[in-house]
Order: sequence, then structure tokens, then C-alpha cells
Amino acid sequence: MAGRPSAFAHYRILIGKDLRREFRSKEMLSSMGIYALLVLIVYGAALAQTERAFDILQMSGGLFWALVIFTSLLGLNRSFAAEKEQGSLEGILLVPMDRSVIFLAKASSNLLFLLIVEIITLPLFYFFFLTLTTPAPSSWLLIAPVFVGTLGIAGVGTLLATITANTRGRDVMLAVLFIPLIFPLLYACAAATSAVLIGAGDFMQTFSVSLALAGGYDLIMILIGWALYDFVISA
Amino acid sequence: MKEQRNMSRKKTPPSAKARPFTHDKPRILREPAVHNQKAQQPTGSSGQPPVTSAQSPGAFMSAISWPDKVLPVLLALGAFLVTAGFLMAFLFAAPVNGAAVDGVELIGNSMVSNRLLLSQKIFYFHMPVALVSFAALAFAGYFSLRYLMTRDQGFDLRARVGMELALVFVLATMATGEMWTRFEWGVWWTWDPRLTTYLILTIIVIAYFVLRNAIDELERRATYAAVISIIALVDVPICYMTTRLIPSSIHPVVLREGGMSADMGLTVTVVMVGMLLTGFSLYRLRLRQLRLSQRVEAITELLHDEVAR
Repeated sequence: MAGRPSAFAHYRILIGKDLRREFRSKEMLSSMGIYALLVLIVYGAALAQTERAFDILQMSGGLFWALVIFTSLLGLNRSFAAEKEQGSLEGILLVPMDRSVIFLAKASSNLLFLLIVEIITLPLFYFFFLTLTTPAPSSWLLIAPVFVGTLGIAGVGTLLATITANTRGRDVMLAVLFIPLIFPLLYACAAATSAVLIGAGDFMQTFSVSLALAGGYDLIMILIGWALYDFVISA
Repeated sequence: MKEQRNMSRKKTPPSAKARPFTHDKPRILREPAVHNQKAQQPTGSSGQPPVTSAQSPGAFMSAISWPDKVLPVLLALGAFLVTAGFLMAFLFAAPVNGAAVDGVELIGNSMVSNRLLLSQKIFYFHMPVALVSFAALAFAGYFSLRYLMTRDQGFDLRARVGMELALVFVLATMATGEMWTRFEWGVWWTWDPRLTTYLILTIIVIAYFVLRNAIDELERRATYAAVISIIALVDVPICYMTTRLIPSSIHPVVLREGGMSADMGLTVTVVMVGMLLTGFSLYRLRLRQLRLSQRVEAITELLHDEVAR
């Protein structure tokens, strides 16, 4: 007799389910991708009247993170809407397993989708805004804050999306909770990204301190999410 | 007051109609606790669980417990101390030296070489109010944790009242802080780490109530609210430590500024104690009011049932 499937097996199956559904419907990826492109176009209009010599590099880190936050809000809202509408969440909850695994699986799949969207938008961002200037040679380091930031967004976002999926006006509710809670991470990641893009002076100091702060935030928030998820999903 | 109520309860004739009424009341008020009792039944004794659940939490649920008896005194004392602190801040605590003046000038009626900072008086209220807001958040977080552990709606009520109190004091902190940035630093707002983290805290506290209003189911609302208030609690130590960890912050730290003289310390202590007493009294008053209104609701419902029967 085969024993109960391990937590890792549950995790793998849940992730497989999310990926299969997404690659069949492409619902989250397409909506997030198009939205990101539209935000870039809005940036274009918003920055069109600035001086020619205006150094976009100074604010490009911040602009990029604003884009990531708004795009991920859209995707996170979708990630639980489908589970709710088709009642598949009840099915998952019937399985006798550690509920925290659901959190880890959902956060992982959200992380994957967000990273895919970022892989598409980062070159587009470069194409539209950074070709006019010359980013510092240390720019490639920005993959570190991008990854750490996206990890935190996926962790906190999954917890909050589960909460707001059951509330009235859930789109607004997610933004109301998500943006203040993600703020420390946003601040640290924007600082680290700007530091490597500008690459002036003692930028490695700012970069490493900000990255450490972002990493600490990720660790605390993901642990809290992991511990509290059982209550949230069972309510 | 409590004795009176008990007496009147004893006086009521134990008629067939009145008995279930007095016993049902606490049970209806504490529906989740009954549910909780069911979960614990295997470990506990098997003797009449509904009766025990109606009696022992009855003491917990009684609207008037010991702190409420001294509540008017505490509130009056808190108000007195805050008022006294207000007067002391202006009349007793020495003015603090601010920007230097060219040479010696006549300001007011005395020759001074420094412009005295009247706006520094804000400090005597800003710091106590901010600390009370942290304390209220800690209370709310503690009760939220207890709620998640016990599923007892009484803890949710306490957490909510704690959060309401936190909102009052957070807004007071923002108001006094805003005066400080305007008159001490000469700007309306600056993205200083302390100001930023506190603004975030304010928004999270507001979001807590927005979330509560967006959910109708009792248990779900309590659980989600508890989770958010625990996460909000994470921001409190960050906000508290940020001025110590980031020395470039322009927000002053009293110890770094060289501590306080005795008169300043006494004034700020008086206001601090007054604010704590006021905060605690407000918390108890609000809790009592909510509990009483819950009782009224439950009794009205029972009466409706009785009339229908």
C-alpha cells in the first residue's frame, strides 16, 4: 500500500495544475503583458514634455518598479478569481494535506508568471526609455533586486489575494492592502535598482544594504504568510 | 453595579419562562465559544457543556468588570494629567534653543542670543501620542493572535477596539507630526524614513477598517482582520527602530539629541501617563459600549422570538 503522498508531491501537482491552466488559457500572462505595455505607453506620454537633456536614469528604477507593482496587482487579482469562479478551491481544500503547501504552490506559480512578464517588459522598458542614455556597466546586477522584489510581491500578494478574493469590491481591496504592505520592499528594490543603473559613487553600498533589507522583508513576510495561510484559506 | 445586576438576577422568579431567557443570553452572545467547546469536548469532562459554557464565560462576558468600576476615575485622571502636561509644557518646561540670532537681540522682553523654539512644545504631545498608538497596535495584534488561537469573537471585538484606538492615536500623531514638519523643518512633507514608515502604518490601519467593512460573514471577517493586524504589527518595530538604524533620518531621537533636562522629562512623563490612562479608559469605554449594544441586540432578538411564539 502506497503511503500518503508527500507534501512535495502535493506542491508539484498544485503547481502543475496552475501552469497547465495558465498555458491553456493564457489569461493572466496576456492580460499582464498587455497592461505592462500600456503602462509603458502612458509613461511615454507622461515624460514626453521633459527636457531633452533630462536624465531619465535618475528615475528609471522607480518607474520600473511602479510598472511591476501595477502589473502584479492585475495578475494577483486574476490568480484567485478563477479558483473562486469555478469552485476549484473547495476541491483543493477537500484534500487532506498541509494547507501551507497551497500557499507555497500558489506563490510559486505567481512568482513564475510575474518573472515571465518581467522578462518581456524589461527589454521593452530598455527599448523605450534607456536607449537614449547610457546605463552604468553595473546594470546587469539589477536582476538581483528584480528577483528578490518579485519573490516578495508573489508571497505577500498571494496571501492578500486569498483574503480579498472573498470580499466585496476585491480589486480595490487588494490594492488598498497590497500597496501599503509592499511599500518597504518597493522602496528597497527601487533604491537598489536605481543604484546599479546610475552606478555613481559608492553605489555598491546602497545596493547591498537595500538588497539585504528587501531580502529580510521577503523572509519575514513569507514566513508570516506561510504560518497564517491555514487560517486565511479555511475561513 | 455588578452586584446590583446579580441581585436583580437572583430576585427574578425562576419561572419557566424566565429561566431559559437568562441561560440563553450568554450562549447566543458567544456562539463561537460554544463551537469551541464542542471541539474541546473529548478532552474535557462530559458533564453538561452548555451550562458550563453559559456560566464561566458569563463572568468574562459580563459587561462591567473591575476596570470599569475605576474607569471614571482613570479617565478623569488621564484628562487631568494631559491638561496639566499642556500647561506644564508652556509654563514649566524651559524653552529650547533654536537657531542662533545675529549677536544679542531683544525678543519678547529679554535679551537672547538664540531664537527660542516655541514649536518644540509639540514634542511633549507628539511622542506620548505616538507611543500610545504603538501600544494600541500591540494590543490589537495580541488580541488578533488570541482570536486566531481560540476563535473567540470576544477577542475579535477587543482587537477591533484596539485598532480603533490605534486609529485615533495614529491620526493624532500624524496631526502633531505634521505641525512639527511645518514649523520645525519648514516643509509640509518630506519622505524621511520615519515619516514614510509611519504613513504606511496609518494607511494599513485605515485599510484594516476598509477590509472589515467589505466582509459580511462574522468569522471570516474576524479571521482576515486578525491576519492584517498581525501583519501591521510587523511595521511597528520597523517604524520604531528606523530612526535609530538610519542615522541620516532627520527625525530626532531624544537620546541622540543629548537627552532631556529634568523639567522636560517631568513634563513629558506627565503627558505620557495621562495619554496612557486616557487611551486605556477610551478602550474600556468603547469595549463596554460595544458589548452592551451586542447584548441589547441579542435580547431584542430573544424578545422577538418570544413574541412570535
